[in-house]
Amino acid sequence: MDLQKMMDLPGALAAFTYSDKGDLQSHVLREGTELTPQVLDLLARSCVANLAIAGMEARGWEAVTGQSGFQPLKGFSMVGLEWSVVVDGNCGVVVRNRDADYEATFNAVQAA
Amino acid sequence: MHIVKQLMAIPGVIAAGEYAYRGDRFSYEGALTDEFARMASILCRANTLSVNMQSEIFDSFSENIGCRPVQGWIVRGNKISICAVGNYFAFIENRDELLNDVMVIMRAKVGDVQDDLLANLYARLGGDTNEALY
Repeated sequence: MDLQKMMDLPGALAAFTYSDKGDLQSHVLREGTELTPQVLDLLARSCVANLAIAGMEARGWEAVTGQSGFQPLKGFSMVGLEWSVVVDGNCGVVVRNRDADYEATFNAVQAA
Repeated sequence: MHIVKQLMAIPGVIAAGEYAYRGDRFSYEGALTDEFARMASILCRANTLSVNMQSEIFDSFSENIGCRPVQGWIVRGNKISICAVGNYFAFIENRDELLNDVMVIMRAKVGDVQDDLLANLYARLGGDTNEALY
């Protein structure tokens, strides 16, 4: 997985990989960002939890409503005040909101 | 134009709505039944509160990192995505550029979510928010 390539996404501030349990495994931070490896580690853990919850909700929604199209999930994003974190699988990217291309970022983490 | 009507005017937006309070006060347009819209509202409120709780934890480790207050979240499904910003939600098809367009509109129209999320949600009911909350 090429994290440096992820940093070429519009507005990318950080790119990281994590284990299935959410342990931060590798990361790249843009110089000058206030994000720290400790925050990325927390982000990774929250993203694993959020993906699991979203998976449960998608499965339940499809079963209850009969509306298909959610599974398999292709990712989750939390949109903060200034930046968003986009994750799928074991890879995540933090992008600045004003420059973010969410579709490109989702596609990149899916392909990773 | 109201944000829900503006979103529904975009091809590929399946449904859009607004929720408040416990998630069971809601309005919506599009391809949902009343019951499904109620479920969607509760689901969106639960996820919104969850990511807000997480952002407070991030903030306790490193202040002013640009996370709080959380504006919303996106679940990217195989063919459908859910976008939630503030107390609005949209179910959209995964079409080229649609997600970016919807997020631009939602962020521009909803604006920055106030710091106290619960007060923001309760405020949609009208009346004395502080009395309802505290």
